[in-house]
Amino acid sequence: MRKRLRVPLGVAVVAVLGTSTALWASSAGAAHSAAAPSITILYGSAPDHLDPQISYTTQGGEADWVSYLGLYTYAHLNGAAGGNVIPGLATGPPKVTSGGKTYTMTLRKGLKYSNGAAVKASDFPYSIERALKLNWGGDSFYTTTIVGADAYAKGTATSISGISANDAKGTITIHLLAPYGPFENILAFPSSGFVPSGTAMTDLSNTPPPGVGPYMITNVVPNQSWVGAINPYYAKEKIPGIPVGKVTVNARVESNTTTETEDVLSNTADLFDTGDQIAPALLPQIQAHATHRYTVRPQVQNFYYFVNTKIPPFNNQSVRAAVTMAIDHNALSRLDGGNLTPGCYFLPPAMPGYPSKPCPYGNPKVSPSAATIAKAKAMVAKAGDAGMAVTVWSETRSPRQQFMTYYVSVLQELGFNPTLKVLADHSYFPTIGNLSLNPQTGFADWAEDFPHPADFYLLLDKNSIQAVNNQNFSQVNDPKIQNAITKLDAIPSGQLKSVAKDWQALDYYTAQKAYEIVMGYQNDPLFASTRINYKALVDQATYGWDWTSIQLNK
Amino acid sequence: MGTPPIRAQVAEVVEEFSLVSDDVPAGIGPYKLAWRRLRRNRVALAFGGLFLLIVVLCLLAPVYSADIAHIGPNDQSNITAILHYGGKPTYVVGLTGIPTGPTWHSKFFLGADTSGRDLAVRLLYGGRNSLEIGVVATLITMILATILGTVAGYFRGPIDGLLSRFFELLWAYPALLLGIALGVSLQVGGLSLGLFTLQAGSLMVPAVIIGVVYIPYVGKPIRAQVVALREREFIDAARQQGLGPIRIMAGEILPNLASTIIVFVPLILANSILLEAGLSYLGAGVQAPNASWGTMISDGIHLIPAAIHLTLVPGIMLVLAVLGINVFGDGVRDALDPRSQVRIGR
Repeated sequence: MRKRLRVPLGVAVVAVLGTSTALWASSAGAAHSAAAPSITILYGSAPDHLDPQISYTTQGGEADWVSYLGLYTYAHLNGAAGGNVIPGLATGPPKVTSGGKTYTMTLRKGLKYSNGAAVKASDFPYSIERALKLNWGGDSFYTTTIVGADAYAKGTATSISGISANDAKGTITIHLLAPYGPFENILAFPSSGFVPSGTAMTDLSNTPPPGVGPYMITNVVPNQSWVGAINPYYAKEKIPGIPVGKVTVNARVESNTTTETEDVLSNTADLFDTGDQIAPALLPQIQAHATHRYTVRPQVQNFYYFVNTKIPPFNNQSVRAAVTMAIDHNALSRLDGGNLTPGCYFLPPAMPGYPSKPCPYGNPKVSPSAATIAKAKAMVAKAGDAGMAVTVWSETRSPRQQFMTYYVSVLQELGFNPTLKVLADHSYFPTIGNLSLNPQTGFADWAEDFPHPADFYLLLDKNSIQAVNNQNFSQVNDPKIQNAITKLDAIPSGQLKSVAKDWQALDYYTAQKAYEIVMGYQNDPLFASTRINYKALVDQATYGWDWTSIQLNK
Repeated sequence: MGTPPIRAQVAEVVEEFSLVSDDVPAGIGPYKLAWRRLRRNRVALAFGGLFLLIVVLCLLAPVYSADIAHIGPNDQSNITAILHYGGKPTYVVGLTGIPTGPTWHSKFFLGADTSGRDLAVRLLYGGRNSLEIGVVATLITMILATILGTVAGYFRGPIDGLLSRFFELLWAYPALLLGIALGVSLQVGGLSLGLFTLQAGSLMVPAVIIGVVYIPYVGKPIRAQVVALREREFIDAARQQGLGPIRIMAGEILPNLASTIIVFVPLILANSILLEAGLSYLGAGVQAPNASWGTMISDGIHLIPAAIHLTLVPGIMLVLAVLGINVFGDGVRDALDPRSQVRIGR
């Protein structure tokens, strides 16, 4: 009787103690979270996804890079220093052997997910497999570098043979097909962020899975809002260089730039989307009254018109060149409220490898003359493409739609018969990224994932042509570019300067071929409310606002 | 309160025309009588004239564009151009994206939009598109609603049940929401139903959408009127003479519906123009780069603090056009109303 009684008593004692501990832990977390002040960030468009293994836009990345740490991440610093890779969940830099083909890393001890579950080394291969299963837009970064990743993506293997993990020792070993210089950058993608093994292999954007990081994403209202709550488990991790969150972040989509600008100007919201543009009508007001909380930063990004090189009329280099010549980049700059720096090269000026030679089809800072337009018209006519129907795809938001209506007017002037199709912002890239649509031409842009030209040349890599989530919209498949990418990608990021001239030559060749019709490079507006400590803010070059740097003025 | 304006207007029309105009003075036909009444209504005629003027101006858009402004409605080649009116050089679109205001000269008479296009030219072309959509939508509504309403009212039974449920289904759905839903889905892929094909982005897409959306607003009252008419003696007489249903509907019933149909035309036209503007403003109607008054307001809305003319100009045109057709429509209704108090001159 006693014995029988002791068991339930023991269970009861353990249960009470356990419950108390859990309640204390959760209340401590809740108290931390509840005590944190909240701020509001506005976004010009909704993220494509919030699930780290499928998100591939800057809006999604901004939330994911502080919520889903991988083995490596980026320094939480402004400017070029923010492009340095630092250890995240790994204890230190990788041990690189076999001539750059094997990477070995050790996981930090005692790591926990935002739901309190322990992090295991085997979660890493699972997370990469999940990104491949979900057709992440940049999955060619994995399939073209990691042994067995392609076979897994194609469904001919049940796991990625090139990745092994030892949960007991916390070690992870990755075998590469060939040395790949920026591989640490690949490991710093939010898509390489850890999620628990067994997480559903479906898009969990509406209920994002647990992760490791200063923040956790909650309360998602699709295409409207989401919350970055402080992760109560992260404070104990003490990962050097990755601060804890100080505020609860309420993220909201506001596609009207005037409202977005007015809200931040009047302190109704706190931070303006770095990927959006200030409403031109309100710029004088900001410059007069809010100079202490408004600056611009040249973005490592490009805007371009993609031209499908597989189908007429843009399968003809002469036609692509004619359109390039006829575009007035100064007009595009006006349409963007003066925020666009005209350019012709695919690589942005801040990127190593940006060509120093003059543009092959005229100076983009000079508007094309009547003679140039006439020559371009003649080139289109000579190609036999005058009168050809061209479907132009556009996003809705400003200034992108304005860029596209201008493009339509240029195509019309050159003798084409263009039709503009405008899609809702959130469905634009998934739609044109569907290869079955085979879009002829349209808007595209690219903001750096990491400070290496290889990141931009992913978009011209034949391996990036995918059935869904295609990123090589122009469907470029040029052996010369493929050979150069193969050779240059092997150079480690630290030795980029030694091959800068090769990248310059490659980028000049791309401009000559007019594979993409580059509009230029945009400046980021850094605009905050008076509530925010502006000097403490970090605008990370790749991911925008660093949520961990946000704090209120005292 | 809470009743959509078009429904209130429909109810008013139905009430007034539920009686067939039997009390026409001897020797004067009902339409001649109506014309006499309308001629006495100067306000209605003035507003009708205003609407007619807008129509004529819009029809002359190509002439204005080619011979006066010398610029096309979608021509963006002037974005970086500098204007020299009044001695002070002005950019068509400034370095920060603010367009020039009215120049009161042939080129950029009402100013430019943010894409460097001539606002006056787009206003006229936008008016053409808005009116074209309004007219086509009205024709679709009137033809289909008349046919369906007549068939439902004449045959009654299962056919009536089926068609009435169809009317109620459309009626129950808010017109604007239905228009947006149809507009968004059709603008990307278009519609292909055998021989009937609608190209995505074509002006016919919003026209068909609006035309379909308004069918029950006309079809239901017509059905109700036909239900009353089919019991009248002259219909019985026609049946006794051996006339078939189609001949009875076309030869006996339709002429008695003419007054109602005539009164509905301006009402539906005004509402179609308004709905088109609303749909285009929301991106579900006329597609860029084509102009309509709705898209022009939408394009300029974010620049209200710096360039109010972008929204004011198309807004005023929209108000004038709808006001013109509405007041004229009221006049037509009064003129056709057998109980009208308008004095009839000889």
